[in-house]
Amino acid sequence: MSSTRRAFLRTSTLAATGLIIGVDLSEGATDKRASAFEPNAYISITPDNIVRLWMTRSEMGQGVRTTLSMMLAEELEANWSKIRLEQATPGGRFQGIRLRTSGSGSTVSTYNVLRKAGATAREMLIAAAAEKWHVQPSRCRAAEGTVVHIATGRKFNYGQLATAASHQKVPANPTLKNPKDFRVIGTRMRRVDGRAIVTGRAVYGLDARVPGMLFAVMERCPCLGGKVASFDATQALAMPGVRHVVPITSGIATGVAVVADHTWAAMKGREALRVEWDLGPNQSFDSDDFLQREIDAARSHDGYYVRNDGDALKAFSGAAKTMDAVYVTPFQAHAPLETMNCIADVRKDSCEIWVPTQCPEEARTEAAKMLGLPPEFVKLHVTLIGGAFGRRLFADYVHEAVELSRAVAKPVQLMWTRTDDMRFGYFHPCAVEHIAGGLDTGGKPVAWLQTSVDSNLSTSPLPTEEERKNPRFYFEQEMPWGSFDNPYNFPNLKADFIPVNSPVPTGPWRAVFYPSRVFARESFLDEMAYAAGRDPLEFRLGLLQPGDILKVGNQRIDRSRLIRVLQVAAEKSGWKSPFHPSSDRRWGRGIACNVYDEDCYIAQVAEVSVGRESRDVRVHRMVCAVDCGLVVSPLGLEGQAESGIIWGLSSTLSGKIDFKKGCAVQSSFADFEVVRMDEAPAIETHIVASDFPPGGFGETAVPPVAPAVVNAIFAATGRRIRRLPVNPSS
Amino acid sequence: MRTYSLVVNEVQHQVQASPEMPLLWALRDLLHLTGTKYGCGMGVCGACTVHEDGIAVRSCQIPLSATPGKRYTTIEGLSVDGSHPCQRAWLEEDVSQCGYCQAGMIMEAATLIRRKPNLSDAEIDAGLADHVCRCGTFQRVRRAIRRAAREASKA
Repeated sequence: MSSTRRAFLRTSTLAATGLIIGVDLSEGATDKRASAFEPNAYISITPDNIVRLWMTRSEMGQGVRTTLSMMLAEELEANWSKIRLEQATPGGRFQGIRLRTSGSGSTVSTYNVLRKAGATAREMLIAAAAEKWHVQPSRCRAAEGTVVHIATGRKFNYGQLATAASHQKVPANPTLKNPKDFRVIGTRMRRVDGRAIVTGRAVYGLDARVPGMLFAVMERCPCLGGKVASFDATQALAMPGVRHVVPITSGIATGVAVVADHTWAAMKGREALRVEWDLGPNQSFDSDDFLQREIDAARSHDGYYVRNDGDALKAFSGAAKTMDAVYVTPFQAHAPLETMNCIADVRKDSCEIWVPTQCPEEARTEAAKMLGLPPEFVKLHVTLIGGAFGRRLFADYVHEAVELSRAVAKPVQLMWTRTDDMRFGYFHPCAVEHIAGGLDTGGKPVAWLQTSVDSNLSTSPLPTEEERKNPRFYFEQEMPWGSFDNPYNFPNLKADFIPVNSPVPTGPWRAVFYPSRVFARESFLDEMAYAAGRDPLEFRLGLLQPGDILKVGNQRIDRSRLIRVLQVAAEKSGWKSPFHPSSDRRWGRGIACNVYDEDCYIAQVAEVSVGRESRDVRVHRMVCAVDCGLVVSPLGLEGQAESGIIWGLSSTLSGKIDFKKGCAVQSSFADFEVVRMDEAPAIETHIVASDFPPGGFGETAVPPVAPAVVNAIFAATGRRIRRLPVNPSS
Repeated sequence: MRTYSLVVNEVQHQVQASPEMPLLWALRDLLHLTGTKYGCGMGVCGACTVHEDGIAVRSCQIPLSATPGKRYTTIEGLSVDGSHPCQRAWLEEDVSQCGYCQAGMIMEAATLIRRKPNLSDAEIDAGLADHVCRCGTFQRVRRAIRRAAREASKA
């Protein structure tokens, strides 16, 4: 991180042409930037032939800096080995441009925008070269960071054309390349940040350093919603290196921060703090009791309208065979390996922030509001992120750092310890699903009734009184995912949703609302298939006939694409092939599928074995088939499939967060167990080629994992697991 | 407070700190070698793995009082130019996702392949089993270690 301070106010002007007239905006920028060619916010080309691409999403492991670069470089015809990446900061040239990274939406939302940005620059560079050579632009072409005059082979590199290109007319509708001519998109590009990572030079939030900065940790009230009654800082302040002790109230939990010369001193000072807590209104909250309340609610079937096709109640009561089941998923932590952290440097009339965040605009706006400053006086730098998974869509830890820096009038890095990070956060809500189904005498499914219960998200609070009057409130919000958009062709399908308040802060977790609903839906389908005496794959394929389009709300679900991925997953996994079992283990395969946000189709087959003891479950192999339209970065997509599957396995097999007496119980990776290398299955990802526009894939692989695994356990043992995790450690 | 003479990446540093300060924080906050990561501070996740006299250890579990006479290597010093067989293999196999745990895994893997170049798959899994990677990069880590071991045995 550069030690020089940048001016806050930028004088960049957006000319009527849309050209940003070169103004220094980046770190380490030089006067050369004054003559930079910047046809839009995403691209800067300087006369020294440096091509800078501006990254408008946060890199948190999903490979977005690689994907965005590929889309820009494709149309720009940049020399891939020479590009430099800059991270966008809110405001200035990015005013009005989304920087938030969420919902597996980065590729979907930027594909056309970035291609157009690259094509605009390319056409202007070609026009500049053509003008210099006095030829028609059509006689020139761009390749590898140069413009070539085709007839003579004369060349200019982009740097040589930068100044002249700035004076060209900005094309309103630049010609985008035909996908068959792509030479970057769709190729197996490796991660642009790979070398920095393996040499230890990559700068995450915790690695950012600012001159004169101090280091802080904070003791928070362990009980949900409690607060500081009183504290004694005497012993903490006596610890070597401790400078300040400051009460903090702006974060997710109130507490007392200790500021010191380095992190260790701050931690020792924290140990020496004496704090009396007012444990507040939730000190008897118990997640097991809450779960029971959710189960009772689910059985009431008295929820908000989500979907109602045909007459499910009548069909159910008239069915030859009926069945029902309750599925339970616990609270989950995000637990990214880099804990929450933020550096804030609050000065008299300004503030500068360095933070690993998915929501830079909100973080900046909220910091400005806290300080009573206009947002343009707050400069926010997005660092690389050591995992986010939805947790960093909240700026609570930015609030804490800002409050702290304001109090001590110095730049401060506030770091959450692992235990802080495990116990405080916006957890994945625990959820309960009740599903009832009916089959006719021939074993044909005729009714499906699904009631979903969860504690809602802190980002989408319980409906207001006004909203409650609208019975279709959740339908209009297309909620809950996985139930609302049930892709199967049931003639009679009813789905409803019951939000239940809990004091636990909740938020988006990888795949947001899908995991619990898809776990229940795909498990119950399996149960119905067995009840009907049908193969679970054939049963699903039958329910997706005739492979038509399902329209529900604004979603358009193409059942033929789901059929295709199911078939591919089955074929590649050897769905019906015999096992070569070892003598003492029982083997089985399970299948599950899902449609993520209408544009991403996925099916998975899990291959498991179970030992003599039912807890002894091993997942050996996961086969994954995906159709998410055009794939920009196949290597990235395969990585996200592997990543999503391991994520899903961790929560399926052992991960959970309990609350007792209002406090989170788990405190580290010792008791919040995640899948490690010795438990990681072999993963095969098969991409089903498709010409549809790209879908998002950061979260897509997560939801089918749990049902595929429990279905496989059932196939192996006849034991049906309806409550996750499979093997809770406590 | 005491003065310790720390040998890190073949450079001798003088640091003033309390004897119980873990090496991790001396590296990160006093020497500004931030390639070594904090993940849990309890020796559970492996993100802070460095080499002590060539052997992978968890720097969050080593107090400065235990460092005299030892030579430490961090990810920044594993090679001068990123050319260690593990670093090259990690790039070839495109292992990293968020990347935060990777330095720790690379340092562990470097010890592993030096001790025994022809590792079995089970030995690779067991060797890295104490590292947490929330992105779940394990499949590519396995491939990278096999590749690095092959490269190292050729050299």
